[in-house]
Amino acid sequence: MTQASLMHYLVWPLVKFLVAFIIVQVIVAAMNWVERRLLGLIQARLGPNRVGWHGLLQIIADPIKFLLKEDIVPSSSEKIAYFLGPMLPLIPAFIVFCLIPFGPGPTFISARVNVGLLLVLALTSTGVYGIILGGWASNNKYSLMGGLRSAAQMVSYEVPFGLSIVGVLMICGSLDLVNIVRYQSNNIWNLFPQIVAAFIFFVSMNAENNRTPFDLPEAESELVAGYHTEYSAMKFAFFMLAEYSAMLVNSCLMTILFLGGWTLAYDGKGLTHEVLMGMGTLGGVLGFLIFFTKVMFFMLVYVWFRATFPRFRFDQLMDLGWKWMIPLALGNIFVTGIFVLAGQERLMYWIGLATLGAIVFYLTRKPAKRAVPAGKVVHAS
Amino acid sequence: MQVSHPKTRWADRFLLLDLFEGMKTTFRELFKPKVTVRYPEERLEPADRFRGMFKFSYDRCIACKLCAVACPIDIIYIDVHDEQREVDGKMKKLKVLDRYDIDVKRCMFCALCEEACPTKPKSIWLTTKTYELASYDRNDLYFNMQQLEYWDDRPKYTGLPEEDGTPEIEGQKLIAGGHE
Repeated sequence: MTQASLMHYLVWPLVKFLVAFIIVQVIVAAMNWVERRLLGLIQARLGPNRVGWHGLLQIIADPIKFLLKEDIVPSSSEKIAYFLGPMLPLIPAFIVFCLIPFGPGPTFISARVNVGLLLVLALTSTGVYGIILGGWASNNKYSLMGGLRSAAQMVSYEVPFGLSIVGVLMICGSLDLVNIVRYQSNNIWNLFPQIVAAFIFFVSMNAENNRTPFDLPEAESELVAGYHTEYSAMKFAFFMLAEYSAMLVNSCLMTILFLGGWTLAYDGKGLTHEVLMGMGTLGGVLGFLIFFTKVMFFMLVYVWFRATFPRFRFDQLMDLGWKWMIPLALGNIFVTGIFVLAGQERLMYWIGLATLGAIVFYLTRKPAKRAVPAGKVVHAS
Repeated sequence: MQVSHPKTRWADRFLLLDLFEGMKTTFRELFKPKVTVRYPEERLEPADRFRGMFKFSYDRCIACKLCAVACPIDIIYIDVHDEQREVDGKMKKLKVLDRYDIDVKRCMFCALCEEACPTKPKSIWLTTKTYELASYDRNDLYFNMQQLEYWDDRPKYTGLPEEDGTPEIEGQKLIAGGHE
């Protein structure tokens, strides 16, 4: 191997991955603060605001506390599995970031794989092993319940999660994340032709990450803390880290697959992939900022969801997954297939746009018109 | 009692509009004023009937000991001696207070002493709106006559006592319930 190829294939990807890794870790730590603060503001309180300016130093204070706390291992636990529990979801959650393009050009992606999307999906879905293992090794009924629920949930929602992507693949004709983004900038965001898929993808990615309203594996009111009941100190922090990293991965995927990634273009006009590449460094920074803004929007929607929706019952969760999401995803593939076969992708844009418009129209109508009459009280005589 | 729920429209159910409605509500909630009081910086004013720290007036007190009798847990300690004094040109036998101590750490703030006090205005009362009574030493909560009357000027603890036993003190007033 020559020195040049060594640099090209080994050193640069590693450096890029390291930078991405550090940025991701900072974002993950900051998300913790953002989430607590936003939740507080929505719940008529202030959230963490004591450490530093508006509580911003909480980002550092939390890891310090986790590091200094005593690491308690239950005496009846399965030691090796208990130790592996928090590590297993962490590894794929970190590796995935070398496959995700954060901006235009090869500078922002450490490993461009032509089946990138498949690899990302394969890696993210291994995260559940750690949860099951940790739940089982804790030798605690609540932990085990949490782990089992997580497994069942993951199996149910992995299917619509994967199926919702098929429509996008059929339209774009590629599994390469960069090509998917390029296709979108030359046509239109996949959100419009694939609005059903985008909805399914978003709901299943909430379920994948065990976030409200699908946070049954760690349901506080039923299972104490679910699979991480027995975990303390840094091991607990690792679970949190894995969860937030997975959230970030899925937000990135959502942005890349449905919202045009780092581009801001329609029909080849605007800031397309090629335009950004032509702008050099400025284009790179601009693309990264656009990407970052879109990803952060989805991270905030996660928090917004958590503040709004109550938890599903377990049978409702299964109902939604198997009876609604999977048939809907299959139907979406069928309809998309027909449109693609007829060469009428354009028509799908307008249908999607019309659907979005109808929803917006319906939401912004005067509330008096669709006000639901108050529950009528009938006295039993 | 039965409650009949209205049927939701098909469009409402299919497009999950109730979810959006809920998200609209939480979004509006984000910008509403918050109820949190940032305690050390901000303080709530207690109600007028709030029972806080004792306040005692030596000049008003007639040393009748009624408050000590009324106290259900006997934490008011009063010592009195008689004195011949000249009042309006006549010699009179007067009771003079030697000791008026309250063991506040055991007090349950029932205000029966205040109720029993016959002077007008009361010479012992609790409606002072001071609630910051915490101390690092339980003996600090044993108040004598002077302390009960002049606790406004009492130095306040600002930190944990040092190892050598000389606590950090700051000449601040112990007045709560005000922003000044």
